[in-house]
Amino acid sequence: MIEELLVYVLLEIVVVLFSLLLWRLTRDSNLMRSEANRRANELLRSVLNSEQYDQLTRKGYLDIKSPRDPGCIYRVPRRQGLVKVIEQGSHKANLCLQPREAVPDDDIVVMHKLMIEADEETYLQTANTFAPTNSDTWLNRIIWYY
Amino acid sequence: MGMVRVISKHGDDRVQWNEQDAQVGGAEAMAAIREAERIFTRERARGATAFRVEAGKPTERIELFDPQAEQIILVPRVIGG
Repeated sequence: MIEELLVYVLLEIVVVLFSLLLWRLTRDSNLMRSEANRRANELLRSVLNSEQYDQLTRKGYLDIKSPRDPGCIYRVPRRQGLVKVIEQGSHKANLCLQPREAVPDDDIVVMHKLMIEADEETYLQTANTFAPTNSDTWLNRIIWYY
Repeated sequence: MGMVRVISKHGDDRVQWNEQDAQVGGAEAMAAIREAERIFTRERARGATAFRVEAGKPTERIELFDPQAEQIILVPRVIGG
């Protein structure tokens, strides 16, 4: 009887300790993620001018002009996703390019901006290109109004 | 001030140095430059791309570490998704 009780008490202690450990790991991981996001946002703000940052926060994307084709812009989403290639106001293609290691979303915006502005050719060579899907095409009309 | 920033899962890791102190042989600034160059070389070997980013100037891709740069940002290796 006493042995059984001891086993239950021990099990209870193990469960409580495990829960505490899990809680602590989750809290630490959230703190680290939040610090990483803060630093990434600081870098993003230092790389964008106020107009660009305003566009990103209000509209959820950043338009980057192609250095080699004035009629072409790359629409980079703030959250991870496909980059839209817009030529003369028309959605021509989607690009997918990502870092091999996970980084905060704001850092990915910085990555696209630097690569497009400083080495567009390598950017285009590295990215996988997709034609816009049917669901994308109706967006073409909306793009005109933005 | 010069700075190397490495984009990573931590946001970014950075090393700063005072270029003027380095020019007159300041030990601390020289050590910071050596550390920045070591990080630059290590990250480039891992496939990172380096960009010189300076206020009022176009962003430039660089292959070699430049202690005169205002800010160097290292982007980890990228792949088509």
